[in-house]
Amino acid sequence: MSLSPTVDSRSFRAARNARAALSRASRRAVVAAAVALGATFLMGNNAAAAPTVGQQAPDFVAVDTSGAKHKLSDFAGKFVVLEWTNPGCPFVRKHYGSGNMPATQKAATDKGVVWLAINSTERAASDYLKPDALDAWMKSQKAAPTAVLMDEDGLIGQVYGARTTPHIFIIDPKGTLVYAGGIDSIASARVDDIKTATNYVNQALGEAFGGKPISAATTRPYGCSIKYKA
Amino acid sequence: MLAAAQSPPELASKPGAVVTTPHVRAELIAHAPDGVTPGAPVWVGLQIAHQPEWHTYWKNAGDSGLPTEMTWTLPAGVSTGEIAWPAPKKIPVGSLANYGYENTVLLPVPLEVSTLYKPPVALGGTPAMDIQLKASWLVCRKECIPEEGTFTLALPLQGSTALHKAEFDAAFAARPETLAKPGAIEVDGHNLKVRLVGLPATAQGKTLGFFPETPEVIRTAAVSGKDWTQSWQGDTWTATMPLADQRSASPTVMPVVVTLAEADRQAGQPMAWRAEAPVTGAWPAGAAPRAAEVSPELQAALAANAAKAASKGADLPAPSSTTFVAALLGALLGGLLLNLMPCVFPILAIKVLGFARQAGNASAHRKAGLAYTGGVMLSFLALGGGMLALRAAGAGLGWGFQLQSPGVVAALAALFTLIGLNLAGVFEFGRAAPSSVCSAQAKHPLANDFLSGVLAVIIASPCSAPFMGASLGFAIGLPAGQALLLFAALGFGLALPYLVAGFVPAVAYLLPKPGPWMGTLRRLLAFPMFATVAWLVWVLGQQSGIDGAGTLLALLVCMAATVWALTLRGRARVVIAGVLIAFTAVLTAAIGRNVLQMVEPAKLASSAPGAAGQRWQPWSAERVAQLSDAGRPVFIDFTAAWCVTCQYNKKSTLSDAQVLADFDAKKVAMLRADWTRRDPAITAALTALGRSGVPVYVLQAPGKPPVVLTEILGKDEVRAALAAL
Repeated sequence: MSLSPTVDSRSFRAARNARAALSRASRRAVVAAAVALGATFLMGNNAAAAPTVGQQAPDFVAVDTSGAKHKLSDFAGKFVVLEWTNPGCPFVRKHYGSGNMPATQKAATDKGVVWLAINSTERAASDYLKPDALDAWMKSQKAAPTAVLMDEDGLIGQVYGARTTPHIFIIDPKGTLVYAGGIDSIASARVDDIKTATNYVNQALGEAFGGKPISAATTRPYGCSIKYKA
Repeated sequence: MLAAAQSPPELASKPGAVVTTPHVRAELIAHAPDGVTPGAPVWVGLQIAHQPEWHTYWKNAGDSGLPTEMTWTLPAGVSTGEIAWPAPKKIPVGSLANYGYENTVLLPVPLEVSTLYKPPVALGGTPAMDIQLKASWLVCRKECIPEEGTFTLALPLQGSTALHKAEFDAAFAARPETLAKPGAIEVDGHNLKVRLVGLPATAQGKTLGFFPETPEVIRTAAVSGKDWTQSWQGDTWTATMPLADQRSASPTVMPVVVTLAEADRQAGQPMAWRAEAPVTGAWPAGAAPRAAEVSPELQAALAANAAKAASKGADLPAPSSTTFVAALLGALLGGLLLNLMPCVFPILAIKVLGFARQAGNASAHRKAGLAYTGGVMLSFLALGGGMLALRAAGAGLGWGFQLQSPGVVAALAALFTLIGLNLAGVFEFGRAAPSSVCSAQAKHPLANDFLSGVLAVIIASPCSAPFMGASLGFAIGLPAGQALLLFAALGFGLALPYLVAGFVPAVAYLLPKPGPWMGTLRRLLAFPMFATVAWLVWVLGQQSGIDGAGTLLALLVCMAATVWALTLRGRARVVIAGVLIAFTAVLTAAIGRNVLQMVEPAKLASSAPGAAGQRWQPWSAERVAQLSDAGRPVFIDFTAAWCVTCQYNKKSTLSDAQVLADFDAKKVAMLRADWTRRDPAITAALTALGRSGVPVYVLQAPGKPPVVLTEILGKDEVRAALAAL
């Protein structure tokens, strides 16, 4: 399925949903099995750490809100932004409600960056949103990610060491983690702070596209704890 | 959210000392046992009483959260010191951890009153210092709520303010005691080795909690005894703990706090100690490839399962042999049903007449049946081959495309006019010399049957009977050989009733015997032909506008007159026919191209009837996406003027008051995709739905898979689908 938001893909969306609906149930089951299997590997390696900036970003396969699969390594050759999100979190709402996150997403995807919003909130959490609801919320916020991925079992989040919503990771075209941290420099839930804060994602992508080293490659992520599955 | 944290309404104009939210009760309290004078100890503080399970944060909040912030507004000459943070508690949140406070906590702040402070002049009552605090805190359980509040307090200058002595004393007791020696911290690979010296006897040998004030250095959630170790040597406490994987701070000095476990705490004794330890050793650069150990296994597992999922998904577009057999059967059934469709009706009339003409001649019936079947099947194969060729050429065309061409429509209108005139008795084949097709009908009965088979296919094509749309959509995605087989099955289905009638005498005997009724029937059957012409003219009007339709009618009149003239005898025939043919030629040269001219969609839309236009919006993929974004369900009518089934549905079910009321009740946006003329966007949308012809009816609610309704649209079906929204 095409990832670039072309007019064609929009016109096919309805039908794609129809076809996807048929296979979604079986896909979900398979992915759930994959996740369970993956979790076993993880448990055996519990001490194994999340990637540090400069290391290879772990590959993953995830299903987006419309049931389509996305594999990180398929995006080799492009910058990929991973954004942990959860609409139930006031910090996420700060950045979406103000338009800051959608604008950052749009600026990135306009440059050809792949932006994957990931929700690792467990199903049992009070603010867990089902794929359709999450998708609807994203649309209502005029969000512009390439895809919104479901990670209810927290597999991807745990592998990356994602702690907060929002928590941002940037992977370069070679698959190396080049940024891990917050969306910006002022840790607060106040919308007013956005204009005085340094947007680390814009800064990092700007520097990366300008051929410069990323000055703030690891920053403090701030926000709500990700409600991982116990 | 924030509004909930504001002061109660009655205090909004003049804030008080207490702010109550659903999660905390926060109060600004003071402790000035010796009054407010320079040099005297004056403390103010924010006391936060949490609801059970809720917590706020320490100065280092840990993996998430935010420390409570306080902004003071004080008179000139008065300043505040730093918050005297009580020792925090480690609050695990799943695989993460926070440092913070539960139950009730007091965050004391010392007030420094300088000699520059000029007390206000009290004109009565006791003089007091007005203190204002704006505080913001993040209160979390699993979910987090940012709250804030504005507090004011009038602190009496004279006398003792010690109402909250107990609370302040408790806060001071919980404040870490600074160790005499700074201790040392060494970075060792991916671990931090902490060494604190001079701890008192009450702490020695006990298991301590460790809290770095610098965030983003150690792995906050690391569990003592499992992820990190500690040991005692006399008054020296050492610990080795893992660094955070995504460490964003590399301090040279780390202020750290160690605490006694709650069970080990004794009243009146310090329970926490603090040191500002210098850091030695090199902070690791993030280059060691460690995480790569996880991903290949994980990736392999995921890839294996993803491959399974992919192969399952591939079943849909690439059908197995059983689904292909089902599709062939479907095509056969579709072809059979096609006989009953309104567009095939005129052809049925021709066939009935044909049988009546040859009644009693069994061999002729067989031959007629075979010829008809051959004509139908060859036409279907030709159509299929043409579609495959066009598909190969990437023209993106679908079923029914023949009638999207005005030239084809005009030619069919002429053909049907001639058939109608013939049936009405204006001319007889053999005497007149009309088009070659009609003369062929008269001279060669078998060719006549063959051609009526061809005609049946041409007319049936725009009306996709149930099964047919799906079968054709199926065929478009198939290899060429299978697609042609499918077309052949479709054709065989259409021809089958005629073929059976030709071969099985029992069926043939059911046919009426020839008699005078034949003439009546023949003239009667002229009217379905003319009705078909009227429909074709209307279709052309949709494509070429009123000028095109008018021109076509004029040309048809000319043609009819010419045909009539040719039936005359002698000089009249030569003169009148010559004049009419000349006139027709002139007319064709002058305005003939109006017929073939495609009208711009915009012009067409403006001339469309307004009453229906109110309810129906023109379809576009963008419009569908917009409406879906807005959360509106969408009903799409894929239609075409030349599709009689579409027109029937439009006038019956889709005009039904109850059905329309149901649409309104569910606030369904109604879009019409008009495929009368070639439209690649609509063709693409139909292809995406697995169809290649109209009608197609789709009901699509945001967040639900689209519901494709049947082609002969029933009221109950539509209402049931709407009710399910």
